[in-house]
Order: sequence, then C-alpha cells, then structure tokens
Amino acid sequence: MSGSDTPAISCQNVWQVFGNNADSALSEALSQHQDPDAVSDALRAKGLVPAVQDANFEVKEGELFVIMGLSGSGKSTLIRCISHLLHATHGEIRIEGEDIVSASKARLIELRRKTLGMVFQHFGLFPHMTVLDNVAYPLRVQGVKKKARLAKAKEVIELVGLGGREDHYPRELSGGQRQRVGIARSLVTDCSVWFLDEPFSALDPLIRRQLQDEFLDIQAKLKTTIVFITHDINEALKLADRIAIMRDGKVVQIGTPADIVLNPVDDYVREFSKDVAKGRHANVGSVMLSPENHAYGADDPGLRRDMTLDAALARCMDLYEPVPVRDSDGHLVGVINPADLAAALQVDTAS
Amino acid sequence: MKSLSKGSQAALITLVVGALCLLLESMLPWLTSYPKGWELAASDWVGLGVKSGLDFIKPAARMFSTLMGYPMAAANSVLATVPWPLLIAAAVALGWRLGGLKMAAMAAVGLGLVVMSGYWPQGMNTLALVAVSVPLAMMAGTLIGILANEYPRFREPIQALLDVMQTVPTFAYLTPLLVLFGFGPVVGLIASAIYAAPPMARNVLLGLQRVEPEVKEAAVMAGGTRLQQLFQVEIPAAKLQIMVGVNQCLMAALSMVIIAAVIGGFNDIGWEVLLTMRKAQFGAAMLAGSVIVIFAILIDRMSATLALDRRRLWDGRVALGILAVGLLASLALRSSLPDPGSYQMLDPVAVWLDSWLTDFTRANADLLTSVKNGIMFYVLLPLRIGLDQAILPFTWGFLWTPGMSLWFFAAAAGTALVLGLRGQLTLGLVVLIAAGILETGVSQLPWPFVLIGAAALSWVAGGHRLAILSTVLLATILVSGLWERALLSLYLSGAAVFACAVLGGGIGLLSAVSPMVWRVVRPICDMLQTIPLFVFLIPVLMVFQIGEFSAFLAIIAYAVVPMIRYTRQGLIDTPEEMIEAATAAGATRWQMMRDVRAPYAAPTILLGLNQTILYAFAMLVIAALIGTTGLGQSIYLALGQADVGLGISAGAAMAILALIADRIVQGFAEERKRALGL
Repeated sequence: MSGSDTPAISCQNVWQVFGNNADSALSEALSQHQDPDAVSDALRAKGLVPAVQDANFEVKEGELFVIMGLSGSGKSTLIRCISHLLHATHGEIRIEGEDIVSASKARLIELRRKTLGMVFQHFGLFPHMTVLDNVAYPLRVQGVKKKARLAKAKEVIELVGLGGREDHYPRELSGGQRQRVGIARSLVTDCSVWFLDEPFSALDPLIRRQLQDEFLDIQAKLKTTIVFITHDINEALKLADRIAIMRDGKVVQIGTPADIVLNPVDDYVREFSKDVAKGRHANVGSVMLSPENHAYGADDPGLRRDMTLDAALARCMDLYEPVPVRDSDGHLVGVINPADLAAALQVDTAS
Repeated sequence: MKSLSKGSQAALITLVVGALCLLLESMLPWLTSYPKGWELAASDWVGLGVKSGLDFIKPAARMFSTLMGYPMAAANSVLATVPWPLLIAAAVALGWRLGGLKMAAMAAVGLGLVVMSGYWPQGMNTLALVAVSVPLAMMAGTLIGILANEYPRFREPIQALLDVMQTVPTFAYLTPLLVLFGFGPVVGLIASAIYAAPPMARNVLLGLQRVEPEVKEAAVMAGGTRLQQLFQVEIPAAKLQIMVGVNQCLMAALSMVIIAAVIGGFNDIGWEVLLTMRKAQFGAAMLAGSVIVIFAILIDRMSATLALDRRRLWDGRVALGILAVGLLASLALRSSLPDPGSYQMLDPVAVWLDSWLTDFTRANADLLTSVKNGIMFYVLLPLRIGLDQAILPFTWGFLWTPGMSLWFFAAAAGTALVLGLRGQLTLGLVVLIAAGILETGVSQLPWPFVLIGAAALSWVAGGHRLAILSTVLLATILVSGLWERALLSLYLSGAAVFACAVLGGGIGLLSAVSPMVWRVVRPICDMLQTIPLFVFLIPVLMVFQIGEFSAFLAIIAYAVVPMIRYTRQGLIDTPEEMIEAATAAGATRWQMMRDVRAPYAAPTILLGLNQTILYAFAMLVIAALIGTTGLGQSIYLALGQADVGLGISAGAAMAILALIADRIVQGFAEERKRALGL
C-alpha cells in the first residue's frame, strides 16, 4: 500500500460541520454553491459551525507536517478528523492509501492499534494507572502478554528519558514529565503515522524548547510521518518540513517554512511571521534565481543553497553585482542579487 | 404594556386576576372553591387502571418477592447468628482500614452503644435489608448511568425519570408496592432499592461525563474497543464520583428502609421507633432513634472515605488483628453469651429521659404553650386561612372587620405606589399581591388566581414552555379533586420554606462572616444531613406533641441545612480578584458583603433554596405521621388502606408541586447565572 507514490495522508475536500443535521445541511449547501466560502456562509446562516472548510493537502511519508493557527481556527478539529476521533462531515481522508472515513469500526481499531499514535495537549494520561501501565496500555488492549508489554513499555520510557519513574502516578509528575509519558504511550506500538495535538503548548518555555529538541531527535531515529498541531509560529518553523496555516476553518497557505516567512499569501499569515527573525528561517535556495537566464558578476562569496539568509548577507555586505550560488561540488545552481537578499528580509517593514 | 419589564407584566396580570377574584368572590362562589361537579374521579380511575396493571404483573412480582426472600433470609440469618463480638470486630477492623484509629474508635463506641441499648437484633434486621437492597440499587443505578452515557438519545428521558423518582414522595412508592408484593419486608427492600438507585445512576453518569475528553480520546487512539475504553479507562477514571454515588446510595437505602417500617410486620429498628413513638414512650423512641443515627453516621463516614482523593489505607495487619480478637472473644464467650436483645443497660437512661422530659414539659408548660400558640395563632393560622378569619377576639383580642381590610389594602396600595414611583414597580405589585394573599389565606386562594399566578411566575423564570407546563400540571391537580389538600400542603411547606430561607440565610451569612460560627454550625449541619428523616420527628414530638406545629418544626429542622450550606458557600466563593478590587476601592466588610459577595452568590443561594424546597416536600409527607393535613396525610392514609389510586394521585400531586417549584427556582438561578456571565 505505502509505495513511494502513495502519500502517507491525503485529505480531499474535508469538511467538518457542527450543529443539528449538519450532514444534510452540508450536502444541500454543497449542491447549491461551488465556492467553499459561499457554502460556509450558507451554513453559518443556518446557525451551523463549519469548523473545517474544504481542507485539501497531502503529507508525504516521513514528512513532518505542521498545522498552525490561532485557537478556534479549526486545527484541533482537523487533526481529529484525520485520526477519526471525529467523523468528517464530508470529504475523503486516506491514510497510506486507505480510506478511513468509510472504514469499519473493527478496521479503525486495527489501524489505531498498529498504525496511528496520538499525543494530546493536556496529556490525556489515565489518572488511575502508573507511568508504566499508562505506556503499556495500547499493548494491553491488543492482548499482549503482561511481561512482554511491560518490557516494551520500559524500553520506550527509557527512550523518552523517564527511566526510574515507572511506578509513579501521573499526578506525581511535572508537566514536562507527563508529556514524556504521553509521547512514550503513543510510541509504544511503533506507529507509522503520529499525531501530536499541541503537545508542548501547556508547558513553560524552557521545558518546551528542551522537549522540541528531544522530539526532533526521536523523529530522526524513527522517521515516522507526523502531523503536528501548534499555535506557535516559532515552533512551527523550527520543526516543520511543511506548514499549513489555518484561519477560521480554512487552510489559507501551505508551504515550507521559508515560503511562509518570505511569501505570505495574505495579511493574516504576514502577521504571524512579522516577529520572526526571517534570516534564520529562510535559506538562499528559497530566494535565488535560476542560473540559465541570469548573469552574475566576478565576485564569488561562496554562497550555498542551504545557507540561511543571515549568513549569506554577511558574506556579501559590500557587493552590488549578482553573485553565483553553488552546490557542495562547486556546480552552479543559482544566481542571487545581494540587494534581493536584503529586500527579502524586509518584506514586512515595507508593507 | 410593552415598556414594562417581564416581571412587572407578570405581576400586573396576577394582580388583576387576583383583584377580580376578590371582587367577584361573593357573586361567583365557584371562584374560591372549585365545584365538586367539575372534578373528575381521577384517583379512582388511576386506582382502577394501575390496579389492573398491577394485577397483570402481580404473579411476576410475587415470584420476584419469593426470589428476593432467599438473599434476605440469608443476610438475616448471617447477621443474626454471627455473634455480636465478631460483627463489632469486623466493623472496627473496617473502620481502622478506612479511617485509622479515629474511625475504629467511632465504630467501637457506636456499636457498643447499640449492644448496650438492647436494640441489636432489630438493628441487624435493618442492616440485613440494607445489605440486600444496596447491591440491587447499585447494580441498577450503574446500569442506568452507563446506558445514559452510551446512548445520548436516552439521556434526557432518563434524567427526567430520575427527577421524578426523587421528587415522588417516599410513602407514595409504598402503596403500589404493597399491592404488588404483599406485606412483608420485601416491600421495604424494593422501595429502598428504587429510592437509592437514582443517586447512584446520577453519579455514575456525572462521573463518566466528567472524565477529561483527552483521556477518553487517548483510550480510543490506543485502539481499545468500546468495552475496553469503558471498563479499563472511563469507569476507573470516574471512580471518585462513582464512590460519591455509593455513599449517597447507602444513605438513601438506609433512610428508606427505616421509612418503610411504617407498613410494619417486620421487627426492625424503624418499626421500634414508630411503635414507641405511638405509645408516647419518648425515652425508648429516642434510644431506638439513636441506634439509627449511629448506623447512619458509621455508614456515611466510612463510605465517604472511599470518595476521597488519594485516600490512604491503614495497616491491614492491625485490621486482621482486631478481627482475630473478635473471633477469639466470640469463641471464648460462646456458651456464656446471652441474647444481645436482652442487654438493656441503657433502659435507665430511657426512663430517666422520660421522667426528665415530663418534668421539663411540666415545668415549662406555659412557655412551651405560649411559643406554640404564638406561632400558630399569629403566623401559621393567618397564613392558612387569612387575616379575615384568623383574627378573632379569642386569639388576637379584637375582630378583623371589613373596614380593617380596607385600611390594610390602602396601606399596601400606598406602599406599592411609593415603590412604583421610586422605579421599583415590580416590587410594588408584589407587595399588593402579598397583601391579597395574606388577607385571603393560602388555603383559600381562588384557583384561577393560583393558576394564573403560577403561570406568570413560570413565564418570568423559564419562558412560555415552563408556563404551559405549570398550568397544565396544576390543572391536573385541580380536576382530580386534590386541590384543597394541595393548597394545604403548599401552605405548610411554603411557611416552612420561608422560615428556612430566613433562618438558614441568616445562619449561612453568619457562618460566612465568622469562621467561629461555622465551626459550631458545620458539625450540626453534617449531623442533620446524616440523620434519616424519620428521627427528626422524635424530639419535636416529645416537646410539642402531635400537631401541625410539630410538623412545621420537623420540616424546618430537616430543610434548613441546604439553605445554610449554599448561602455560606455562595458568599465564600466570590473570586479573590473581585474581593481585592472591592478592598482596593475601600469597601467595608458589610459593603463588600452587600455589593459584591451577595450578588455574586445569588445563583448559588437560589440553588440552596431549591434544595430546601425539595427537602421540605420530602419531609412534609413523613411529617404526616405526626399530624399534618393535606396531600401528605392523603398519601399516608392511602398506605393504611392500600388505596392505590389515592396514593398515586396524591403522590403525583405532591411531585407536581415539587417539580414546578424546582423548575421555577432553577429558572431564576439560571437567569442570575447568565446575567453574571457564569
């Protein structure tokens, strides 16, 4: 199923509408209007809440896909549609090619046992179980023998750095430790698709950064496909391969961190990236021009495609002619005008 | 009309209808007393219908009755044959395990007193009933709670059913059960199971609903089946709330088992209380009542520890040791242990109590009579039959003349006018209405006035739907011929609720202001809430004999507690920031109380009032035992005559009154909450 062409997750025209008779109201509105905005307006006029409107995207295998938006933008609802904690009102959601909206109950349980893992904002730990039992629970429901499941759980607890606290109860742990338990629990079944719903939002900044770094380490080891929800642009930029930005139930932009920072589609996205130090998040590759049509001068400050804009600008502070960008073997891959570098950093102050 | 507030409109309509009724009273007598010819023989029909229904299921019921006989007999014989030292040791061991030395000592002293009182066998009979009915109630309650949680469609009907089960007065259950199951302890058993299941169901449902959504989602995402989610995650996570349910279930069962003793024929402790009370052996009644109170306190305090967060279990070895001591003592004394019923070491206490009581009432006869008569003549009677009939030369020293009525109304109108001019039109109108009610008397209010008044009040509190509901339900009482009795019940419970509101509100306020007062009041409140309804009757009866005044006092004693608790809680719970803001603005303590705490506490206090009303109705029926008129009396009479129709109709009428009062007060509480943005 999961050949290299099949995306790990694909969402097509996904709608989630809350309210009475949402199903019929939505299909009626969809048959009357083409434009999603018109559909949403029609639904709102009836007192319904279109929490997710016409979401379309794909997540590649092994990709770290971040969905970002303010509270109430529908990001948590969307991740619950994908993990089928909510039944999407309309649309197609495929996980590793398999349609999960129409999957049977038994198949869903099977998928959750083998394929999906999820981490929650407020941890969702079982208050009546120890750390060890919490982490082993997904194996327990599958009927794994006690000895085997506890051994596996211990292994994962070590992985998240909680060794020695197996017999504690959740209430005896700090916030950061609790979320490590949540992460361990979601990893114990070796899931291949991992959902994280604002996992670090309830933590204080220092612990958050520490956990982000550890999370990246774990991700580098496991290489699972990840859907990560956050409301923090810095977190999104730090972690993401690609970011989807949501506003009022709509996905307004999908792109790499550099895209989001350098080419925001509207003021809403621009507002997010305003306070971000762009030079650190965008690289030369995202602003360079193709080498075919553009000439460059004699100076070669040694720019590389994956250099951040800050670093590149530091190398060509006193240059005015366009300069070449080369790969590690010295082949020409692009051309960039130092003036454009500076301009790219100043999109916001200009607007 | 448009510019008037909702409250003013309602008050105005009520006032106009009332005034019309008062004016036309002499010309149209059917306004005040609903003509007999318009009544439907509803209670007969209900009786006939229910009876034929009951006859239909009677064989099944009788079979169930026989079946339940086995566990009952088993529980009975276990509790009767196990020697008392061992049983006490078991209770003490359990007390130690749950609550350490304090609770162990409580169990030892409490049960020791029970043995000394000589009521041990009766007490064990009562406990045997509880021991069988509680598992039944817990199973039924848990199933209902889970069902309501799993199928949201059923949630509303189940909630409504639970409401009804708890508002229908306890005695009213007994009549149909009596017909269904015949005389005998099984009726008490079933009645107590029915009465104790709702709190269990409510708490199970509440607990399951309160489990954090993410915890539920985590169980889903772990790949659990629905049953795994429910039994491995949700129910254990809801454990504390469910244990609160177990505690309430136990207490309700005990309370009902004792009430069920009214039907008699079973040698239990409730029967003992009733018997001694009827023989006016108050010392003995007090003694038997104390046995009930001891059981209630022990059961309550022990089971309450189960609902504590992070509770601690005390050393099990000590518990085993206590048990072993009990076993050894029983074995050693086996042959020499006399029948526990024969210890009557406390009888002198009872005798002394009796004689002291006689002396006391004799010595203070004047005082007691004047208190009783004072409240009867100057408060209760005018409220019941109106100033125009209650004020007689014999009691008040003068006769109420029509001229005085005129002056009275003129004064009320003057007050209303002043209030109206000062912008408090609604209050002014209410003063006028109150004057009218006082002049006529609650039990003689014209029925159109009551219907319209209730509808108007319901409309203000809960909109059109509630208004229609109230009118329809009250009209059912009207046509079923129970109207006069309903008004009598309304009058007595109304007077008691009013007294509770003033008294409880005052005590609650004092407790909120002064922690010292609360330290005294709190244990009294705890005590009053633990005591089964029945026991309240004993002391009032001792001092004031049978009569309406005793019933009035018993109702107040029982129903005042929620008012005190909620008033204090509401006043205490004001958010810290609001207090700080008021302090920063320079408010004194009383200003803070009046301007900040009281408005914020209003919804909570209203909920307390609501509880007080429900408690008052519950007690009203029990108080029928010591002389009240009205619906309570009808229900009690119906029980004596096994008149299913009357029992059910009167019970339903009672439930209707409670339900309407409940909805109206809840409506106001909701409205206050919304206004405060809570």
